[in-house]
Amino acid sequence: MESASVAAGTSLARPSSLLASGAGWRRRAKDRLMTVLIGGAFALAMVPLISLVYEVTKRGIPGLSLAFFTEDARGVVGEGGGASHAIVGTLVITGVAALISVPIGIMGAIYLNEYGQGRLRRALTFFVDVMTGIPSIVAGLFAYALFELFLGPGIRLGVMGSVALSVLMIPIVIRSAEEVLKIVPDHLREAAYALGTPKWKTIVKVVLPTAFAGLVTGVMIAIARIVGETAPLLVTTGVVDSMNSDPFHGRMQNLAVYAYNEYRSPGVFKQAAYDKAWAAALTLIAIVMLLNVAARLVYRRYKTEIR
Amino acid sequence: MFKPSEDVVADPKEQQGLAGGAKTIEARDVNLFYGDFHAVQDVTMTIAPNKVTALIGSSGCGKTTFLRSLNRMHELTPGARVDGHVTLDGEDIYGKGVDPVEVRRLIGMVFQQPNPFPTMSIYDNVAAGLNLNSRRVPKDRKDAVVERSLRGANLWEEVKDRLDKPGSGLSGGQQQRLCIARAIAVEPEVLLMDEPCSALDPLATLAIEDLIAELKNRYTIVIVTHNMQQAARASDVTAFFNLDATGKPGHLVEVGATNEIFTNPTEKQTEDYVSGRFG
Amino acid sequence: MMPEIARAGYLEELATLEASALGGLDLVNVALGRTMEAVEHQDVELAQVVIADDDRIDGRYLEVHQGLITLLATQSPVATDLRLISALLHVLKGIERMGDQCVNVCKVIPLTGNYAPVDPRMVELILKMGGCTRSLIVQAKRAFEERNVEMAQDLVRRDDVVDELNRECFHLALEIGEDADRREWGMTMLLAARAIERIGDNAVDIGEQVAFVVTGLFREFEDASHPS
Repeated sequence: MESASVAAGTSLARPSSLLASGAGWRRRAKDRLMTVLIGGAFALAMVPLISLVYEVTKRGIPGLSLAFFTEDARGVVGEGGGASHAIVGTLVITGVAALISVPIGIMGAIYLNEYGQGRLRRALTFFVDVMTGIPSIVAGLFAYALFELFLGPGIRLGVMGSVALSVLMIPIVIRSAEEVLKIVPDHLREAAYALGTPKWKTIVKVVLPTAFAGLVTGVMIAIARIVGETAPLLVTTGVVDSMNSDPFHGRMQNLAVYAYNEYRSPGVFKQAAYDKAWAAALTLIAIVMLLNVAARLVYRRYKTEIR
Repeated sequence: MFKPSEDVVADPKEQQGLAGGAKTIEARDVNLFYGDFHAVQDVTMTIAPNKVTALIGSSGCGKTTFLRSLNRMHELTPGARVDGHVTLDGEDIYGKGVDPVEVRRLIGMVFQQPNPFPTMSIYDNVAAGLNLNSRRVPKDRKDAVVERSLRGANLWEEVKDRLDKPGSGLSGGQQQRLCIARAIAVEPEVLLMDEPCSALDPLATLAIEDLIAELKNRYTIVIVTHNMQQAARASDVTAFFNLDATGKPGHLVEVGATNEIFTNPTEKQTEDYVSGRFG
Repeated sequence: MMPEIARAGYLEELATLEASALGGLDLVNVALGRTMEAVEHQDVELAQVVIADDDRIDGRYLEVHQGLITLLATQSPVATDLRLISALLHVLKGIERMGDQCVNVCKVIPLTGNYAPVDPRMVELILKMGGCTRSLIVQAKRAFEERNVEMAQDLVRRDDVVDELNRECFHLALEIGEDADRREWGMTMLLAARAIERIGDNAVDIGEQVAFVVTGLFREFEDASHPS
């Protein structure tokens, strides 16, 4: 290791030997400081999340009971009753929303990634981006206005809530599906074309199976996003106390609106109502967590190593 | 005329040793474009049946572009265009009413990076051509095709006990032979290979070259390679492509018998290239 | 089926070219045999046949030479393969020279005329030299085929016999007398003996090539500047 005497002034100063470079404690101290700062920032970011989960769990557990999961609130004025109608409602409304959004979303993503070209594609991508930012109440009002057009004012149906949630869900599905389809390498498509495979068959039999895990994960995460939406459901599905699992007839309760309702109008037995509200919130968080865990498991099980 | 897809799988008993039938490709005044960019200019050459033709030349000289025009893969790139004629045993593959999908079944391709389908087993990979194209093929016929193709690719002995395992578990050289088996399973007449060995180690490369020497008895083979020694070892005819300058279109400088090109080429450009004086 | 040896086609081609090259030694042996017969019986017609047939030896040279050059250009041989090809190119050259030497002997036969030899002892010696050289050629071929270095080195000893016979010929020629015709005959026969002696040296060169292929080292066994 020669010292930089030849090009002094134009090259970096070097230590005269590696051993002498040990006095870099200043740099090490800076490293440590940065590590502490970044770790601290992360801890700070985790605080609201952890405190939220803690609070909801603490307040929600008293409201949980067998009755909570098995009884609805029909005819109940006081402390009794449960939220089974809300749970079923959430599942049905979200399920129908997924049924609508997933095919449309994935087909949309397929069009954008595999067929789209030029200006039309850019315009569509722009609109999808806009749609991801729609306020949820707007989606709800749109669904209401649509059904009112055909079925008259004041109509409330489970499926209306599903439509509203679809408006929110479709752009999310399109976006994540598009990302996943983009990751499928082109050389797999080319291999299929070179065998004399038509384009649509390539997509169905090569691209989609390869992207399967990612698509499922994307869908599950989209569902997790909309499962707790309250505002659009307020104006579309209404409030009801009894069990209704038919999305095409009558009002349907769901966990988000249920929690809101119990909080807004607790009635005489305030604490019981509040407890039930917290329990509903806890159930929602549990559902979201379950969906995320399931998404991860599916991904790990079905993912394909693409060299 | 090109046969419809349903005729792809003939009776395997008829096809005991020989699959497909090699044909001649003629390129006449072929010009290739990417949008406005003129990539390859005025290529006229004959690719003889049952011979290995190697396309060599420095990077960017258009040899891969030309190769991809021979099975209508070039036009899959948005904005890509082909002028001129390419005929397979006299029939223009770019003619009116010709289905490019059908052309690609007759002229198969193996790529630089081995690309077995990751979601499919070895068996399904080889049978992919059948599964993706034809209507239902009875299982015993499919078995026969898979075994014949894997034998033809010198891979049968190594994988016959694990046909249901995923294709991605094989080594690079084995994966490439799997891709070759997949390509010959649909009984093409011509096999195009785009730098098939550049991702492989030397032993795997030699195994593929030995395989090519066997395959040429049944197919017409065109191989693009930037490894001149490989072109010298493995081909019967060599075509040398070159650019005058970056941005100019690539063109065919010389085509001839391989031992002529490497012992006594006609053009000075060819001599300079093969003896490593440039490129 | 997985081929057991890689590059089987190339190795086959190399083996074929080696067999072809060594087959040239057989052609030379036949030519030398006929040459000796022509000398013994003063057969001018047989001599003409040998001269014409040299074209076959030249043809063999060109054909195998072209094949070896092509292999060099297309197969990038290294190690033993490369040494073998180099050795075969030398052997081919030697074969071509041996053929030419036979032609040289045959060319002098008409000059010795159709009458009785002046000194039958010289003719005897030349015939003996021819016989020894023929077995030298056979041994050289076998040594190359078997890559047998000892057999190759033994060629030197046997070539010494030929050289000794050549020296005896030389002494006989010195004593042939004053007569111009006799002297002319003597010198002509000496040229023939010299040609055969050169064939013997070429055979020893082939032996040296055997050692080169096997050991990678090129060493003169023995030549004019390094008498053993």
